[in-house]
Amino acid sequence: MDILFLLVPVSVLLALGVMGVLAWAVWSGQFEALESEGQRIFDAWA
Amino acid sequence: MQVSSASTYPGLRHPAGYQEPDDACFALYDEPQAWADFSLCIDKPPESQVFQSFVAVRGMRCAACALVLEDALRQVNGVMDVQVSAASARASITWSAAQTRPSRWLGAGLAQGYQLLPADDAVCIESDLQQSRLVLWRWLVALFCMMQVMMYAAPSYFTQPGDMSPDIEKLLRWASWVLSLPVVLFSCKPFFSNAWRDLLRRSISMDLPVAIGIAVTFAVSTAATFKPQGWWGREVYFDSLTMFVFFLLTGRWLEQRLNSRTVGALGALTHRLPTSIQRQLPDGDFENVAVRHLRVGDVVRVLTGQAFPADGTSLAGDVLADEALLTGESRPVLHHAGGSVIAGSYNLGQAALVRVDKLGLDTRYAQIVALMRRAALDKPQLALLADKVAKPFLLFVLLAAAGAAALWWRTDPAMALMVAVAVLVVTCPCALSLATPTALLTTAGLLARHGVLVRHLQAIESLSHIDTVVFDKTGTLTDAAMRLESVQTRTGVSSNTALQWAASLASQSLHPVSRALVLAAADLPALASLNVKESAGRGLAASFDASCPSAEGLSGTLRLGSSSFCGLDASLDKLGRVHLADSQGWLATFDLAESLRPDALDAVAALRARGLAVHLFSGDTLAAATRVAGQLGIHQVHGDCLPQTKLALMRALQVQGHKVLMVGDGLNDGPTLAAADVSVAVGAAVPLAQAQSDLVLPGAQLSMLPVMLGQSRRTLQVVKQNLAWAAVYNATCVPLAISGFLPAWLAGLGMALSSLLVVANAARLSRFNTGS
Repeated sequence: MDILFLLVPVSVLLALGVMGVLAWAVWSGQFEALESEGQRIFDAWA
Repeated sequence: MQVSSASTYPGLRHPAGYQEPDDACFALYDEPQAWADFSLCIDKPPESQVFQSFVAVRGMRCAACALVLEDALRQVNGVMDVQVSAASARASITWSAAQTRPSRWLGAGLAQGYQLLPADDAVCIESDLQQSRLVLWRWLVALFCMMQVMMYAAPSYFTQPGDMSPDIEKLLRWASWVLSLPVVLFSCKPFFSNAWRDLLRRSISMDLPVAIGIAVTFAVSTAATFKPQGWWGREVYFDSLTMFVFFLLTGRWLEQRLNSRTVGALGALTHRLPTSIQRQLPDGDFENVAVRHLRVGDVVRVLTGQAFPADGTSLAGDVLADEALLTGESRPVLHHAGGSVIAGSYNLGQAALVRVDKLGLDTRYAQIVALMRRAALDKPQLALLADKVAKPFLLFVLLAAAGAAALWWRTDPAMALMVAVAVLVVTCPCALSLATPTALLTTAGLLARHGVLVRHLQAIESLSHIDTVVFDKTGTLTDAAMRLESVQTRTGVSSNTALQWAASLASQSLHPVSRALVLAAADLPALASLNVKESAGRGLAASFDASCPSAEGLSGTLRLGSSSFCGLDASLDKLGRVHLADSQGWLATFDLAESLRPDALDAVAALRARGLAVHLFSGDTLAAATRVAGQLGIHQVHGDCLPQTKLALMRALQVQGHKVLMVGDGLNDGPTLAAADVSVAVGAAVPLAQAQSDLVLPGAQLSMLPVMLGQSRRTLQVVKQNLAWAAVYNATCVPLAISGFLPAWLAGLGMALSSLLVVANAARLSRFNTGS
């Protein structure tokens, strides 16, 4: 059971790390224009 | 296909250049050139100009906010009128340029905690993007932390007391606490900052109960984590806390998305002009310029899917345009080279070269936009009622929570606090205040997409009570143009030949009768070499080349006109009748009639099928009115009406308890339109800014009338459902929470689902009910 004293803090750090990745995804616009990127193939000028 | 916003505003991909507006930034809007982009000059006395500015408001949650912002802005010296709409987060400010500048009232709004952004500016769009990212990010943080906190909380649910060593239990609680911190400090920040702002102003809003609930839960759980011996007990509620925060944020996020999709339908119409456009340089190349820098006479290239930035003339090739908003014509319209295109319509065909003829506020599009923005700020009676109820309701909720806590305190202080939290979180005044405006705005957006402009939201509510429809005749049921009804001819002359001769004369004149004759004879060849002279108001006379084969059987001078002009007996005179005569006397008589609008028959039939009484009030002769009424199946007809007579007739109907919808052309029915319960102006002849009516049908699509009535009834139904739901939900959930049956997380879920239900119900209105 002692391993939990290591694993629980590690899981907290891991969670914070994953949130960091999510932060990058949100602020670099990964969740925006989900449809128009696909439609761009029809756009002659883009 | 629409060009995506990302490619229209390439700058959006680099948020680095964006900065939150502050006082220094507001000064940019003090240039007349800059404020002209979001303001309308409504009055021009020589010294002081009065402007009406339209702005988007950030940081507004409910109707109470709207009132506060209105008060704050009204106190600025020089601001004459303020209208704020909570549902559409828009405001209009009327101010005098002699006394104030936009930066002053923009600053006054910010001082109250509301950011005002010019409704048209690219800044507004950019800030929208930042805002939506922030909302998504807050939600993701809550979601992720909630999942993780659940993991840490799970063991305490599955184990018996004593199964876990106290050290492990403590470790798990600390871990939960660490991951609850971002939720409380970051994801919940809007709840706290809004609640705090309202407290400072000594008012309460929907966020206050929620903020108190979050703060109490977190405080109790934190205390239990670090000092489990106190009166607050040793229970922790991190899982409940993160879960209800997550539910609340999910609810708000979806609600916002739904709302901006439906209410945004109005916004989409007002934001269709491109911000930049390709302008042709003298050497034939193109440069990108901001639309506001265009001048009349510029030549621009409008790409496929782009909206025309100005009224203009197509220079080369055919242009296929979608003009549904402006004319109500849902099919694409083809303009040949030299034809005129209108601002705000979409170019559906290939890239078009267009010369700019009219810009900005001179265009019909700008008038429509101004009209719709004003309508979105309208506060219908039902919404006002909900706003009035919201504040006492919130007070009641706070008192109920305190009362519940006091009741439970003696049995279990920790339980008492959580019951209070559940009461605070479960109540949903937002369902109450969202119920009406979302439904009405959704309907207004839908109607606007089909070419019906709503000037007053109240009209949608009133429309559903209508039981009597009064039509004006000329210009409303009938076209201004006339149509050939019948031809009588001298023996030996065929009606086609007579028509051919008449049309040959008529082709030289622009009189409505002449145009109708020419139209009727469109398939027949014209007589050659006529020498026509027009006597204004009487008729046309022509000499002709008698050797021409088609002129066989004619002699002398050919006359087309009234009986006296043709030398005939005056008893033959009749409304809409002209004669053709030559030197031998009478040749033919043409009876003309006003032509009904093509959809008038169906529209009247549909209205009657809905059980509405249909009347016709006409300024024309009784005979003409009766004839049109007969064709349409209208039984109640009044002819020879002066405007005062029409008004008196309508008043008489209203005294009998009827709710009257008046349909007129908006030009000579002013007083009657104004007195009707709901009024509709028909036809593009109406100057939009001056139309007296509640609704405008610029494309004269009479077939929309029954559709509008049906839609308004559905809208009222949805409003009633929403209000009923809000009442029932709160009436059941608050007692449940007080009696301790509702845990906090379930309360959060209930509130989120409740406000979602209200908005989703309103979203049903974004489509016409095709079933009925």
